[in-house]
Amino acid sequence: MAFCDFKLHKPESVTEACRLGREFGRTCAYMSGGTELLVDLRSGRKKVAHVIALGGLKELREIRRDGDTLHIGAQATLSEIAEAPLVHEVFPALAEAIVTMAGVQIRNLATMGGNFSCGVPCSDTPPITCAAGGSIVVAGPDGEREVAARDFVLAPRTTVLNPGDIVTAIRIPVQPTTSGASFQRFTMRRGSALAVASVSAWLNVEQGVITAARVVMGAVGPIPLFAENCAASVVGQAPGDSVFADAGALAAAEAQPISDLRGSEQYRRDVVAVLARRALACAAARAEGRTS
Amino acid sequence: MSTLKDGRMAPHESPAAGRRSVGVDVPKSDGEKLVRGRPVFTDDVLPSGCLFAKVLRSPHAHARIVALDASRALADPEVVAVLWHPDVPQIPHTRAGQSHPEPSPWDTTILPTKARFVGDRVAVVAAETLAAAERALELIDVEYEVLPAIHDPAAALDADAPMIHEVPDPRGIAKGGESNLAAMIDVQIGDVDTALAACDHVIERTYVLPRVQASHIEPHVSVSWIDEDDRLVVRTSTQVPFHLRRILARILETSESRIRVIKPRVGGGFGDKQEMVCEDLVAVLTLRTGRPVRLEFTREEELIAARFRHPQTITMTTGVMNDGTLVANRMVVLADTGAYGSHALTVQANTGQKVLPLYPLKHIHYHVDSVYTNNPISGAFRGYGAPQGFFALESQMDEVAAVIGMDPLELRRKNHIRLGDVDPVSARLNEGKEGLARTVNSSSLEECIRRGAEAIGWGATPAPTHPRFKRGLGVGVAMQGSGIAGVDWAAATVKLNEDGSVNLLVGATDIGQGSDTVLSQICAEELGVPYEKIIILSSDTDLTPFDVGAYASSTTYVSGGAVAKAAADLKNQLLTIMAEHWQVNLEDVRFVDGVCMGPRDLSLDMGGVAHTALYTAKVQPAATASHMSDDSPPPFSAQFADVEVDTETGQVFVRRFVSACDFGTVIHPKLAEGQVDGAVAQGLGYALCEEVLVDDEGRVRNPNFLDYKIFTAMDMPLMEVIMLETEEPSGPYGVKAAGEVVINGPAPAVVNAIAAATGVRIRHIPATPERVWRAMHEC
Ligand SMILES: Cc1cc2nc3c(=O)[nH]c(=O)nc-3n(C[C@H](O)[C@H](O)[C@H](O)COP(=O)(O)OP(=O)(O)OC[C@H]3O[C@@H](n4cnc5c(N)ncnc54)[C@H](O)[C@@H]3O)c2cc1C
Repeated sequence: MAFCDFKLHKPESVTEACRLGREFGRTCAYMSGGTELLVDLRSGRKKVAHVIALGGLKELREIRRDGDTLHIGAQATLSEIAEAPLVHEVFPALAEAIVTMAGVQIRNLATMGGNFSCGVPCSDTPPITCAAGGSIVVAGPDGEREVAARDFVLAPRTTVLNPGDIVTAIRIPVQPTTSGASFQRFTMRRGSALAVASVSAWLNVEQGVITAARVVMGAVGPIPLFAENCAASVVGQAPGDSVFADAGALAAAEAQPISDLRGSEQYRRDVVAVLARRALACAAARAEGRTS
Repeated sequence: MSTLKDGRMAPHESPAAGRRSVGVDVPKSDGEKLVRGRPVFTDDVLPSGCLFAKVLRSPHAHARIVALDASRALADPEVVAVLWHPDVPQIPHTRAGQSHPEPSPWDTTILPTKARFVGDRVAVVAAETLAAAERALELIDVEYEVLPAIHDPAAALDADAPMIHEVPDPRGIAKGGESNLAAMIDVQIGDVDTALAACDHVIERTYVLPRVQASHIEPHVSVSWIDEDDRLVVRTSTQVPFHLRRILARILETSESRIRVIKPRVGGGFGDKQEMVCEDLVAVLTLRTGRPVRLEFTREEELIAARFRHPQTITMTTGVMNDGTLVANRMVVLADTGAYGSHALTVQANTGQKVLPLYPLKHIHYHVDSVYTNNPISGAFRGYGAPQGFFALESQMDEVAAVIGMDPLELRRKNHIRLGDVDPVSARLNEGKEGLARTVNSSSLEECIRRGAEAIGWGATPAPTHPRFKRGLGVGVAMQGSGIAGVDWAAATVKLNEDGSVNLLVGATDIGQGSDTVLSQICAEELGVPYEKIIILSSDTDLTPFDVGAYASSTTYVSGGAVAKAAADLKNQLLTIMAEHWQVNLEDVRFVDGVCMGPRDLSLDMGGVAHTALYTAKVQPAATASHMSDDSPPPFSAQFADVEVDTETGQVFVRRFVSACDFGTVIHPKLAEGQVDGAVAQGLGYALCEEVLVDDEGRVRNPNFLDYKIFTAMDMPLMEVIMLETEEPSGPYGVKAAGEVVINGPAPAVVNAIAAATGVRIRHIPATPERVWRAMHEC
């Protein structure tokens, strides 16, 4: 097909990948699983002369523990991440988020590196990573840097990545035992659907009181949105239905949804209220060890 | 939680005594080659030197194509031809693949002078590569005169509405083509107004049905070339090879003898391939260039320029007495046929014809306006108008039951058509004309309702699985036909070989549904030979006899009848040959399990019989038989849904789905069950998530499978299929039909279950979460 009119490069090192990316600039695209890129190339949203495939960089596929951080290589597939015992041990809500995404075939190819790099508002792993206080490791022609997940996406399909930058890893701090997190997403059907809205919640609960909270909304704003008022409203409170219901209403007010094929603005806000309440309740139960 | 077996099919009575093939799950005749990925589909092998075609589509919903300049495109040496309307014959025809004379209006030419929807054909390109063809589309300069367009069918008949078809010879268009009315039907039986006035209750509601697509896996694809005898060959993914040959011969101004249509394996059709979608374009390009040409639709093109189930708005009025006796029904349908009138009359005729007899009332008024708009083209799609009608009827039955305070199942039991009843509608409405009267000569509908209700646990709704869910059960009852009475016919040829194998040549089109398998079973059964001995070929207009094609639930019933007759004829020929050979009386020769037995201990197996015929008697035992039925016996189904509704979001989860079916005799239990599975999946998509969205300018907003949401495997409920076989006297081995009836029940069963769960009545499907949620917040 015509959209395959590009030159494919298979760099064998991160340095080479970065060099090629800088050399070709806007005329190239990196490819990990290709599950977003190929769709964009075929639809004509993206046109490039060079595709730089990162699949050969096996060292970026590792999932390991580095002291007090969970390190997920940017090339690990979503399936590998969801099945990794380490992920379930350190931050199960990430696995919970991933298994709701797409379908098995897509998850067997797609990566978290690609999910972040495309900067799409309905990407599912950025909000939950933000809720966990995670960060992104970026390798560029001038070396490596680490960017907080919440600072990574700047606008729809725009990230902090410059030409020649690649994501090499996602890093998630090992969570305190008094914390819990939950990912709640709403879709129009179960198989292969994009989020109408998602809410990721993270709570720390000590002696029956919420001491810290992060609530991040997906697909209802240009970038993953922190529901600051919602989160602030539960801090200092004991977990409870009415606290979370009120907090859900605050999240709905903080959302910035648009009306599109997947739902009207108003409906999306109402769904956010429901999802935020459910996510907070579930995160609290996990923080208090009432459920896994 | 559920008592449903995962073992799926309810115990199927083993094949009737003495049967070896009919009723047995024999291996699917084409299963192995499909699973092995052999090159069996249209696009798998291309002739050498094949050109690739692409269609230039109109960006406007309604625009005259004034001028076209292809010089920039043709400057590319890889671009071989660009054709637009002055380059092709302008012979009005319909692209609907129906029997001659086609009941659809002749409102189409190969390449139109005026684009009538966004995506209409403007020009067609042939190039050495697909990439070159795609590039060429961007280099063709077209001058359009943009005209005002209509997208709302309700506005199509306004006095000031722009005319979509100004055809000099408006053959088949309603009222001589004076308005945008493509087809009109008005049938009155009894006196509805007087009858309604005397009823205890009159319930009138309006139901709105979406535009949906069949979403067959293999897209439309055709390849054509000129053979060594200068004949045009078209290999194509079609349901109607013989209709295609006839239509092509006329619009290309040649004769059938110059054309050969080959149907290889087909990856699904569902009615969307009962239509000439690519064939005429590859043909004109081949004739122009002398080269083979291939055209395949992308998925986007499927969702823009293939065919769709007619969107309908149905206002239904039912008159009922306090005791639940239904008295009168008025059904008024506004259908959007889109830019062309493919099946504009007959789909809508079927809406009334298939639906209204379920409750055979004395007073019926059926009215249809099927209108042109500048929207995508509607056409044939599994169920052919009946799913729309049954949604209205079976939703309304629950609304009627609620008004009179009766159990919805009880209301249906009291009124549904029974064995021996005369269907009041058939004689008045067949393919949009007067038809043949129909009596029900086989039915297990009562049993379907009883067994289905038992399986779902009617009256004992399971508890919700979470406090935020509400749970409910719903039912949808339906009937259909088996072929078009007095219209659909088929022929089959059988021919015996030395080893006792039999060539079975049929025009009937296997499009994945398994008709080759089922027809082989019938042939094997009739001859008493093992199923493996049948070598089937379908369909090739040079090699196989005529068949109208795969549509209207006709193949097993009609084509199966031709196969049974041809096989019986062959058997008789063999008996005669053997009687002569053995010098015995014909009455003393018979076949027992495929072995020819004479008096005393004379006997010979089929191979021996064949040898005798071919080398001693020196005749080729062979027979061709034709079959047509004046009847179209209705298969029945009662389908039940168990749903949970998330009260917080409006999302509907179908937990269990039961289909109790009367298909007559089941020839192949697994394939029949497959028909139910597929129809339920499509029916649930219709109920809950499928809708082609068209914007104010007529552009499809969701032409891909991410945004056009068909039901996926992950969305499917636990399924149970209960076969309650009957013996239909007019069908070979007692068969009726299985392909369509079961697509009718899912949508009403689901909305009825939603209403039972929440009290909210959804009259506009699909019942998306947002729609259900809004409805819950309004009441
Ligand atoms: C049917 C279907 C369903 C889907 N469902 C979901 C869903 O439910 N949720 C969801 O979030 N997404 C979904 N997606 C989108 C997509 O699968 C995900 O975003 C996926 O994580 C992308 O990863 P990838 O490795 O395939 O990325 P690619 O397609 O390889 O790349 C995506 C983009 O990121 C760039 N890129 C890739 N890797 C890197 C890197 N290491 N460094 C820098 N730039 C890079 C590419 O140039 C490209 O622009 C779906 C897609 C499809 C086709």
